[in-house]
Amino acid sequence: MDAHGPLSSEGLVQLLTHTGERVEHDTYSAYAADLTPERLRQLWRDMTLVRAFDMEATSLQRQGELGLWVQSWGQEAAQVGSGRVLRGEDFAFPSYREHGVAFTRGVDMPDILKIFRGLQHGAWVPAEHHFHLYTMVIGAHTLHATGYAMALDRDGLTGTGDPERDAATICYFGDGATSQGDVAESLTFAAVHNAPIVYFCQNNQFAISESVTRQSRVALADRGKGVGIPSVRVDGNDVIACYAVTQWAMQHARSGAGPVFVEAFTYRMGAHTTSDDPTRYRSKADEEFWAERDPIDRLTAHLNAIDELPQDFQTDVAAEAKELAKRTRTAVKSWVRPHVLEMFDHAYAEPHATVETERAWLERFERSFADAEA
Amino acid sequence: MPTFEQFKMPDAGEGLTEADIVTWRVAVGDTVEVNQPLVEIETAKSLVELPCPFDGKVTQLLATEGDTIDVGVPIVEIDVDPDGEAPPESPAPSAADADAPAPVEQASTPAPVAAPETPPSAPIDDEGSGAVLVGYGVKPGSAKRRARKAEALEPIGGDGDGDSYPVLAKPPVRKLAREMGIDLNSITPTGPGGIVTRGDVEDHAKATSAQTLATYPGDDQPWLESGTSTQDGRATRVPVKSVRKRTAEAMVNSAFTAPHVTEFLTVDVTATMELVAKLKADRDFADVRVTPLLIVAKALLLAVRRHPEVNASWDDKAQEIVYKHYVNLGIAASTPRGLVVPNIKSAHRLPLHELAVELQDLTAEARAGKLSPQSMSDGTITITNVGALGIDTGTPILNPGEAAILAFGSIREQPWVHEGEIKVRWVTQLALSFDHRLVDGGLGARLLADVGRVMEDPAHGLVWA
Amino acid sequence: MTDTLDKAATDTEVSTVTTMTMASALNAGLRAAMERDPKVLLMGEDIGALGGVFRVTDGLHKDFGGDRVMDTPLAESGIVGTAIGMAMRDYRSVIEIQFDGFIFPAYNQITTQLAKMHYRSGGRITLPLVIRVPFAGGIGAVEHHSESPEALFTHTAGLRCISPASPQDAYDMIQQAIACPDPVMFFEPKARYWDKGEVDTSLVEQKLSSADATAALGRARVARAGEDVTLIAYGPTVRTALLAADVAESEGTSIEVIDLRSLSPLDSATVVRSAKKTGRAVIVHEAPTTYGVGAELSARITEEAFFHMEAPVMRVGGFHLPYPASKFEHDYLPSLDRVLDAVDRVMTH
Repeated sequence: MDAHGPLSSEGLVQLLTHTGERVEHDTYSAYAADLTPERLRQLWRDMTLVRAFDMEATSLQRQGELGLWVQSWGQEAAQVGSGRVLRGEDFAFPSYREHGVAFTRGVDMPDILKIFRGLQHGAWVPAEHHFHLYTMVIGAHTLHATGYAMALDRDGLTGTGDPERDAATICYFGDGATSQGDVAESLTFAAVHNAPIVYFCQNNQFAISESVTRQSRVALADRGKGVGIPSVRVDGNDVIACYAVTQWAMQHARSGAGPVFVEAFTYRMGAHTTSDDPTRYRSKADEEFWAERDPIDRLTAHLNAIDELPQDFQTDVAAEAKELAKRTRTAVKSWVRPHVLEMFDHAYAEPHATVETERAWLERFERSFADAEA
Repeated sequence: MPTFEQFKMPDAGEGLTEADIVTWRVAVGDTVEVNQPLVEIETAKSLVELPCPFDGKVTQLLATEGDTIDVGVPIVEIDVDPDGEAPPESPAPSAADADAPAPVEQASTPAPVAAPETPPSAPIDDEGSGAVLVGYGVKPGSAKRRARKAEALEPIGGDGDGDSYPVLAKPPVRKLAREMGIDLNSITPTGPGGIVTRGDVEDHAKATSAQTLATYPGDDQPWLESGTSTQDGRATRVPVKSVRKRTAEAMVNSAFTAPHVTEFLTVDVTATMELVAKLKADRDFADVRVTPLLIVAKALLLAVRRHPEVNASWDDKAQEIVYKHYVNLGIAASTPRGLVVPNIKSAHRLPLHELAVELQDLTAEARAGKLSPQSMSDGTITITNVGALGIDTGTPILNPGEAAILAFGSIREQPWVHEGEIKVRWVTQLALSFDHRLVDGGLGARLLADVGRVMEDPAHGLVWA
Repeated sequence: MTDTLDKAATDTEVSTVTTMTMASALNAGLRAAMERDPKVLLMGEDIGALGGVFRVTDGLHKDFGGDRVMDTPLAESGIVGTAIGMAMRDYRSVIEIQFDGFIFPAYNQITTQLAKMHYRSGGRITLPLVIRVPFAGGIGAVEHHSESPEALFTHTAGLRCISPASPQDAYDMIQQAIACPDPVMFFEPKARYWDKGEVDTSLVEQKLSSADATAALGRARVARAGEDVTLIAYGPTVRTALLAADVAESEGTSIEVIDLRSLSPLDSATVVRSAKKTGRAVIVHEAPTTYGVGAELSARITEEAFFHMEAPVMRVGGFHLPYPASKFEHDYLPSLDRVLDAVDRVMTH
């Protein structure tokens, strides 16, 4: 695109063109060296499954089974590519659209829908997946990620000299979030404390209906430059480049060299949520342009071109995708809201007199009805 | 076995309560898969394609292209097990199935199910919608109450914990006790949780006041009932209330406002007594009580007709005399509750029999204590039958708002000069008090004389009638 | 502080009781907590070399180092947010917000994140942070340095809110707050920082398990027993309440003073028991009466002791105004006379 500033394609790191050709980059090619065809097939499988899950969730919402759904459609490369870099004590802080990252962190995908089915606010155990809960307040979690990174450092897990031991935090947020004060404060704290954190901004070009040009007049990666940390712009639909840049960034942070700002330039193929109507603020032409730059298609093209996408593999993955979709649907429809008194659990870690009194009252109130359960 | 599922119009999350069916992507009989495009709907904002929620065969399209359907209303029916064996009897599937359909053969055409009779604006279950970006939307709340068990209501306001805390009573009751000068601590509470109720306070007040004295005879008299005995028990203080209070007020008002003058006339009423006896035997008066009072009343009415200026009222505030063109004849009555003065409305119009009826009714009501406030208002002139109590005469006090009152004394046999000779005749005394501001001595005298005239010679009433 | 300890050590019996100011008591409590648990960190603006604008962290930077006593960027939201992230790796940060009026940039992190994280995570994430807030007025300050915003936090489920009124309570409660697994808003009455009192440093030791510390934090204290009126206060107004009780006693009225100590949870039982006994309640706080903590107490007393009450519950507090310029301060704040006026009025019933 011939746009300037935050919509510019200038200087985007790319290792796979949108038509599926491999290209090289002086700095980052080296960080994709471990992506053998086998590994590329795995990335292809990851993205395919994530998309299938996303489409199923969308259908479920359209069928009235979910109150809302937030699609990750179009951002699979950025999320899967970066997510597959994480290991050991690395910890990821998502916003609320990172289902692709969730997948790479071993979250059981249907669980995510508990949030959108209105059963829970948080649907997995962060410590088990090194993947924090979704945070609905835009940008608020970037501070948590920064603090976590500061703690990793304190715990001696940064720059130990042992790359296997070193760990860092990666924090995901969108273009709109970069305007939030908390994001600015996160960068400030991270810079001053040299915290081991990779800020991974998915510039999907929209904050609901507002173009990123409403958030910035320069490339978003310049935010990182503003606090004096290395900042990179990458083609967010190029899974190989996303993987490579994240690999470099995480190694940088883990080694104790400090924070990094990565901007993945991508496109939100769907609406902000299922309640949004993009026809009111963007054109079909725009969407078609970006459909041609689909992250999965270009990898398919590439693997086919190098004859590394056998038919039986594709069939297997298709079956897996179908199975995941079906399992998701069955799970969603099977969930029962827990007993109303569970609403009082976990407001506090230790008993709080008011909560206890009110819980007891609601219990008596519910029992006072003629149709109450025995 | 054929199992029918219905897909209801979902909340497409766009802040809608309804959507239009634009294009069906499937037809009845089609085999469909989950997520296959089912129908295109148009919301207020855009076209949305709804994916099919079931695998199976479409058995019914429950909405037509162009229809506007509310959220929650079924739009399509799909048999999710079309190849299954049908049971011998009719399948019992869909919720809207009103009639049991005929037994189904395998697959394709199951018996038609009656389309749901849902009225256009009735969302089902917990479907509901509102303009939200971030969730299910507004849910219409229930408009009906869930039935409670009998002892459901929990007490509020605290209860006696057994510790010696101040007496329990709600603020208005505390105030009442204070006003009545009663110490709450002396009251036995009967309210829930040991609370002193308003009733408790009132009962306590009554109980402590009804102290009777065994020493003096007649001390259990009714007029002492609501009184409180003094400390030494030698007197009882009874609060001035209701009738007594009103009577007292009226008396004071009248006596100290209108300058009263009373004129007396002694009358030979033998002829009246003969008339009364005759009327008593008269068939026309068989249904009423006939008394001398009836004749006095008539006499007064005739006299008032001749001297209407007395049928008036002195309006001091407006500095006007209000002459009334009707006579509401008051009859003072002594009742257990006190003195009351009900009046016979428009007595000037009543023939003797009707007057007798009114008088009788009025007397009965007064005795029964059933007089309405209306019957005691707007009187224009009054008779007080002191004779009924066995006394000769008095100086009656005007009923407030009136200008004259006639006291009718007892009728005795007395020696009288009749046609030049001393004879035993029936004699009574009439006393007329009047408001000297608007009735002067002469007028009062003439009125009184006229009354006397009729009573002395009732036939003369015919002349004035 | 060290001088006092040395002196004590030379006595035949080691006394654990000393006289100290509230600021010193807080200092001592923080020190004890940091010595006890290496995961306890202090974070705030100017708490390091300066020792805090009220010197509450005096000497701690020197003894524990800049890693544990962190001078942070001037960014309240950032302080709370990063502390949340650190707590996810078990660090127990004690944050100082320099003045009550500057807590608002952090209000988002406190209410949408800190208060809700435990609930959101189904109990998997605990954030045992303490946010110390020098609050309330009476120090003749310029704008934003005399606020009483506690009701904005008591109304948020997920937070505990407490306020010590004496050096002893300051010493005990700061340590209990640190030991408590829930986030605690710790409102320190800055006008009382220099008040002196006896502090027995041994009292708190035994009661520092999560459960014990939390339970101890939730209790109100009957500061003075009485029969005629219950006077409820917390933080800076406890002293005012006790003065009022003295004056009232000389006039023949016996006032029972309750130091709430905990605002969320409220120790309803203690308050209601006293209200039932006296039948008259007055609440005094610096925060505006309109929509304040007193309104909650009044509602609870009405619900739970209605039939015992001789008079309506009265509240004495600030007016519904932005905190005024300091020359007006003492007319704005609930004075001895305003408290006694409320007492007189409830005594007319």
